[in-house]
Amino acid sequence: MDFLGDVFGDAIEYVVEFGPELRAIVSLTLVVAGLATAIGVVLGVPFGVWLGLARFRGRTLLLALVNTGMGIPPVLAGLLLLILLWNNGVLGSWGALYTPGAMVAAQALLAFPIAAGVTAGAVRNLSVDAQEQLAALNVGAVRRGRIAGREVWPGIAAAVAASFGRVVAEVGAVLIVGGNIEGETRVLTTAIVQEARQSNLGAALGLGIVLLALALVVNLALTWAQLRGESHA
Amino acid sequence: MPSGTALDLSGLTWTIGDKAIVDVGDLELQVGERLVVYGPNGAGKSTLLRLAAGILGDRAGDDVSYMPQRPYMFRGSGRHNLLLGLEDAESNKAETLAKRLGVSNVLGSPAARLSGGERQRLALARTLASSRPVVALDEPLAAIDAQDRDEVSAIVGDALGDRAALIVTHDRDVVVAFADRVAVMAGGRVLQVGPAQEILLHPGGDDIAGVLGFQNILPGTVVKSDGPLVQVACSGLMVWALGKQASGSDVRVTFGAEAVTLHTVAAPGADLARDSARNHWLGPVHTIEEVGRLVEVVVDVGQPVAALITAGSMEGMSITVGDQVALSVKATAAHAVTAAKQ
Repeated sequence: MDFLGDVFGDAIEYVVEFGPELRAIVSLTLVVAGLATAIGVVLGVPFGVWLGLARFRGRTLLLALVNTGMGIPPVLAGLLLLILLWNNGVLGSWGALYTPGAMVAAQALLAFPIAAGVTAGAVRNLSVDAQEQLAALNVGAVRRGRIAGREVWPGIAAAVAASFGRVVAEVGAVLIVGGNIEGETRVLTTAIVQEARQSNLGAALGLGIVLLALALVVNLALTWAQLRGESHA
Repeated sequence: MPSGTALDLSGLTWTIGDKAIVDVGDLELQVGERLVVYGPNGAGKSTLLRLAAGILGDRAGDDVSYMPQRPYMFRGSGRHNLLLGLEDAESNKAETLAKRLGVSNVLGSPAARLSGGERQRLALARTLASSRPVVALDEPLAAIDAQDRDEVSAIVGDALGDRAALIVTHDRDVVVAFADRVAVMAGGRVLQVGPAQEILLHPGGDDIAGVLGFQNILPGTVVKSDGPLVQVACSGLMVWALGKQASGSDVRVTFGAEAVTLHTVAAPGADLARDSARNHWLGPVHTIEEVGRLVEVVVDVGQPVAALITAGSMEGMSITVGDQVALSVKATAAHAVTAAKQ
């Protein structure tokens, strides 16, 4: 009990103190995960709406690819990006490896299929009547997509929540392309790995508590928006 | 009125697996014409309309303003739904139509809270406000209360104006109110096409009669009203029918041939008014035709009126073409429907 109590006490102390190091880690986490989610959502949601509405040969294959992408291991996404950004790699000249930019790109790769897949699922679940009415409206493809998107708005909020949850909690991709450099590319998850490795269990648990709290705040906001959208249906 | 083809439906087909859901054959909608596709549930009528509107199949459908059978209201207000996809001039027209159809008071409400009738009225206003040259309506009065149908069909008819309309229904009143021509559909095929009065009076074959029944339609003008009844001057005869229209209204009186009673008359000028029916007409038998186990007798009482009787009764009366007979119809069996097109 003493051990557990000590760890927990250290964790609380670490969080309450909210020192400069923790502040830097939290803000970088928010910036990287926020930007990655934004990129994934901005590209993935319209793609998902299109994929949900369109009828073409190869749609099933594309849907299967997106669904597979939803489950891609973060370390694999990180590895693929690492190969591209490596000195001799296709994008090596960018010098982006071990920068926050590379971390954003890696996490956006993870967010995109989730945003697209969850959105496509919501659109495909539109009732037959809704789909028929949508097709009957005198509007172009873009407007039709926007109407469909508005109709499945709670589903899109779920897509945003799932994307953010995925990227903020992953460690493999940011560790590989970010390198966990103190003060530069260290985020909550990589910091937890670092502290745990160094047996600073209190600090590690404190970081974990902050991570959970962040996820809770973001999901509270999205759930509120979702419910509000439903009551205005 | 300009002439020509507004919509060529010929050759449209839709199959699921090996089963032909729709196989239209030859069917054209003329410019300015109102063609009503009539048939039982599952006849393929809605599928035909979807093919015409480009919802199914290869037809582009961008010349057709289409209202599905179950109009769907998207997230947002009634007004948001009313104006979806309309341009400015069309939007003004939609607002005016919504007002005429009695739904201007629900435009600010969330569409999800609207009743079925309100949704249908909004969908009608939006569909009719479109400037596309052809209007396609699937069961346009299905969600409208019985007492409002007459008024709504008159407004719809007025809003259609000279545009070509393709209307799908399994409701005979809709046929009576709207049809210039009727296409009878069953089992995915168009069985017969022709002017409404002709088709309803002379269904071409047992299968079509089975879909349609035999229906008399007499166009005329209301001359007076008496409680729930109106008296209508149809060319050549006066008819009492259920109706609320004001004097001077153009209506179509409709009653089934099975509601017509046929009497032999001993001598010309014999007293006709011996039963409770309000309508009694005299005239010579025009045609006699066996329809399955029934006989359709068409009598010229100023207009051709069909009576459907059993073969047994027919034998007992020994009537032949040219004989003078009397017809009677209870006023409550006849309906005056406001003509949606004069």
